Amino acid sequence: MSISLPAELGLPMVYLVDDEDVVRDAVAWLLRSRRLLSQGHPSAEAFEVALGADPAVVPGEWPTSPSCLLLDLRMSGMSGLALFERLNDRGLTQAMPVIFLTGHGDVPTAVAAVKRGAFDFVEKPFSNNALVDRIEQALSASAATIVARRQRALRLRGLNELSEREQEVMALIAQGLPNKLIADTLSISTRTVEVHRARIFDKLGVASAVELANLLHATRG
Amino acid sequence: MNPPNTGAIPLHSVESDEWPRPRRLRIVLWTALVVLLLAAQTLLVVLAFHYRSSRTQESVEANAAAASGELAQLLAKDLQAMLGMPGVGASPTAWRTRAEQLLVARPELLRFERRDAALKIVDAVDTRARAPLFAQVARDGVQVDTDLACAASQRRGGPTYSQSFFVPQSDGMGLEVMDLCIAEREGDHVVGFLIASYALSGLLDQLSVQALAPGHDLSFIEADGTRLAHGRMHVGAGVYHASRMIDLPGTAMQLRVDSAATPPSLVPDLVTGLVIGLSLTLFGVVVLLARDVRKRARAEGALADALAFRKAMEDSVVTGLRARDLQGRTTYVNPAFCAMVGFGPDELVDHNPPPYWPPEQLAEYQQRQDARLASAPGAHSREAFETTFVRKSGERFPAMVFEAPLLDSAARHTGWMSAVLDLSAQRRVEEVSRQQQDRLQATARLATAGEMASLLSHELNQPLSAIAAYATGTLNMMDAQARGEPPEPELWPLLHEAARRIAEQAERAGRVIKSVHDFVRRREHAREAVSADLLIDAVLPLVRLQARKSGTRIELELGAPAPRVVCDRAMVEQVLLNLTRNGIQAMQAVASGSEPVLTLRVQQTHPQWVRVSIEDRGPGVDDEVARQLFTPFFTTRSDGMGLGLSVCRTIVEQHGGALEFVNLRDANGVVCGAEFRFTLPAALTR
Repeated sequence: MSISLPAELGLPMVYLVDDEDVVRDAVAWLLRSRRLLSQGHPSAEAFEVALGADPAVVPGEWPTSPSCLLLDLRMSGMSGLALFERLNDRGLTQAMPVIFLTGHGDVPTAVAAVKRGAFDFVEKPFSNNALVDRIEQALSASAATIVARRQRALRLRGLNELSEREQEVMALIAQGLPNKLIADTLSISTRTVEVHRARIFDKLGVASAVELANLLHATRG
Repeated sequence: MNPPNTGAIPLHSVESDEWPRPRRLRIVLWTALVVLLLAAQTLLVVLAFHYRSSRTQESVEANAAAASGELAQLLAKDLQAMLGMPGVGASPTAWRTRAEQLLVARPELLRFERRDAALKIVDAVDTRARAPLFAQVARDGVQVDTDLACAASQRRGGPTYSQSFFVPQSDGMGLEVMDLCIAEREGDHVVGFLIASYALSGLLDQLSVQALAPGHDLSFIEADGTRLAHGRMHVGAGVYHASRMIDLPGTAMQLRVDSAATPPSLVPDLVTGLVIGLSLTLFGVVVLLARDVRKRARAEGALADALAFRKAMEDSVVTGLRARDLQGRTTYVNPAFCAMVGFGPDELVDHNPPPYWPPEQLAEYQQRQDARLASAPGAHSREAFETTFVRKSGERFPAMVFEAPLLDSAARHTGWMSAVLDLSAQRRVEEVSRQQQDRLQATARLATAGEMASLLSHELNQPLSAIAAYATGTLNMMDAQARGEPPEPELWPLLHEAARRIAEQAERAGRVIKSVHDFVRRREHAREAVSADLLIDAVLPLVRLQARKSGTRIELELGAPAPRVVCDRAMVEQVLLNLTRNGIQAMQAVASGSEPVLTLRVQQTHPQWVRVSIEDRGPGVDDEVARQLFTPFFTTRSDGMGLGLSVCRTIVEQHGGALEFVNLRDANGVVCGAEFRFTLPAALTR
C-alpha cells in the first residue's frame, strides 16, 4: 500500500498539530504502524516556535524532504486556520501540503480552507487508513514540488553559466527565430549559431526551443 | 399713549381677512371725531371773538357817525354866526367887537381877518385864549391855501374852506389850521373877504361825542393817512376804528374814530373762557373715552389671542378631548378625538348615546355614565378608567379615559371634560413584544439543544477517534507481520501499549455518556412542592396578553386553598403555556357566536393526585385529529412544529401523571369545546 518516494530526498516527515494529546498520540502510533515518521506539536504557537528555531526553514527552499502538516482546525489559542494563513503568507505551504482535521460542524470552514489552498480535510472520527493514504498522497505531492524546485535551481545555475553571446542567441531562439535570421541579426555565421544553440541546450538540459521558452518563462515568473 | 399690543401682531398677519377692516374703520372714526371737535371748538371761539369785535366796531361806527354829524352842525353854526358879522361898510370897531365876541363864544376859532378885494389884510382879531396865531411866522408865509380858498370863494360866490396847513407856535409845537374864506359882494363885485381860522384840534375838542363815548379817540386825517389833529384823548389802540369823510366847500377831510378797546384776548373773557373750558373738558372726556376703548380693545385682543392659543392647543394634542354636559350630551370634541373614533364633530355633538359606544354594551355604558354623572364633582377630581370604543369603521379599540369636572366662570358644575387615549397602538406593541419573546424562547431552546449536541459530539469524538486510530494501527502492524515484512523490533510491547490506550479511551467515552445521564437526572431533582395557584400566576401574564389580543376572557377556579403539587416548575409552566395557547387559538380559529372564555381549573381528585384542566369553547377536536394528537411533528397549524402536545405529554409523564383530553358537549350533545387535563402528584400535607 505504501508509496515510493525518491530516496535522494530523504525521509518523509509528518507534522502533527493538535491540542488533544490523545489524538496526537493515537495518530502518531497509527503513522508509525505505516512506517511514517511524525512530529507532534500541542498547539499552533508551539509549531511556529519549532519552525523558528530551525535555521533550515527558509521560504521557497524549505522543506528539503517530503513533508505534510496534519492540522486540527479548532484548537485553544491560535486556530488551525489562522496558522494555515500565516504559513501561507510565509510561502511555507508550497512544498508542505496541509490536511485539516475537523470536528462536528466545522465542515464549511474546512471547505473554505481547501479553497484557499489546503490539500484536503478529514472529518473526525476519521477512517484511519484512508487518512494515512491521503497523507501519503500529500507526501508525494510534496516530493514532486521539491524535485521541481531542485530542477529549476539547476537550470537557473545553467542560465547563469551562459556567456554573453550565448545569452543573446538564447533570447532570439526563445522568440522562435530560425538560425538563419539569428545569424543575420547578430552578424555571425549560421554555423556559429548552431554551435551556440547546441551548447545552450546542453547547459540548460533542454531538448527544443519550446522547452527553452517554457524554462525562461518559469524562471522569470 | 400705550404702545400697540405686540403679541397681537402675528395673529393679525395670519388672519388678515378678519382684523384690519374694523381697525382701519376705528382709526378713521376716531380721527373724524377729533377733527370735528377741533373744528367746532375753533369755530365757537372764532365766532365768539367775531361777535365781540363786531360789537365794538359797531359802537365805533356809531360814534363816528355822531361825531361827523356834530361836526357838520358846529361848522354850520359857525358859518351862520360869521355871515351875521358886520360887512365892509360897517365900522371897524363894530366888526372887532363882534369878532371878539365870536372868538370868546367859539373856542375853535382862532382869528378873524378882514381883507379887501385885493386880499390885503384890513383888520385882524386873534383870540385871547392863546397866543396870537402868527406870532411865530408871518401871515404872508402861510397863506397860499388861504388865497386859493378865497379865489374859490370869489369864483363860486359862497364861503370856501382852505386845505389845512401847519402853523408853528411859540411853544415849539404847531397847530394844524384851516381857514374859512367868505367873499363879501356888492352886486356882482367882490368888495372884501372875511377869513376865519379854525384850529382842527379845537374843532375836535368842541365835539360833545368825546364826553359821551369815553375811550374813543377822535382825529382828522388827510387822504394820504397823515394825522392832522387829535382830540383831547390819545387812547386809540388802532384796532377798531371808523372814518367819515367830512365834505366841506373847497376841501375834504376824514374824521377818524379810534376805539381804545384792544382785540378780544382769550384769558380775561368770560364767554371765551367758558367756551374754552367746556372744550377742554370735552377733550378730556374724549381722551378718557379713547383710553377706555383702547383698554377694551386690548382686552379683546388678549382674549382672542387666548382663544386662538387654546384652539391651537386643542388641535395639536393627540389626546382626544370630549366635553359632556350634566345630561351626558356631548358638547365639544377636538380634532384628535374625531380622528380617533372616525366620526365628524356633527355626528358627535348633541348625540346621546354617542355613536362610539359598542352597540352590544350600550346598557352597561349607559349605567356607568349615569353613575358617574350622578356623583358629586369633588368625589373624583381626575379619574381614569379603561374602556372600549367603536370606530366608525366598526373596529373596536381600547381607550383610556381621564375625566375631570367642568366648572363655569361662577364655579358651577356644568359637565365633565374627558381626555381619551387610544390604547390600540400600545396593545399592538405589547402583542409584538410578546410574540418576539416567544420566538426568542423557542430559539434559545433550539440553540441550547444544538450546543449540547455539538459539545457531546466533540467530547465523544476524541476518545472514539483515538480508539479507532490505535485499533487500525494495531491491525496494520499485524498485517505487516502476516505479510512477512521486516518485523518491528518490539512488536508485543507496542501492541500491548495500543490495547491499553484503547481501553483507556473507551472508559473516557463511557464517562462522557454518564455525565449526560447525570445532567438529565439532576432535572428530576429540581422538583419541589409548590401551590398550584403559584404555577398559574407565573404564566397568567403571558396568557392574559394573548387573551386580550383575541378578546378572550380568562376564568380561574383554583379552589381555596389551592392544592399543592410536586413538580419541576419550569416544565409544568411550559405545559400550561402550551395548553392555554392551544385553547385560545382554537377559539380564535372559529368565529363562534358564543363569547370566548378560557377556564383554568385546579382540583384535588385523589389524595395523591391533583388535576389541572384547561377548558375552551372552541370547536373541539375531531376524531381524525384526535388519533394523532400526541404524535410528534403532527400539527394542524401552518406555523406549528407539532411538538407542543407531544412534549407536554412527555413532561407530564415524567412527573408520573397523565395528559388527556375530552370534547365538551352541551345539553343537545353538540360539541361546544375541548378540555385538556393532566395530573400531577400532590404534595403530602403536613
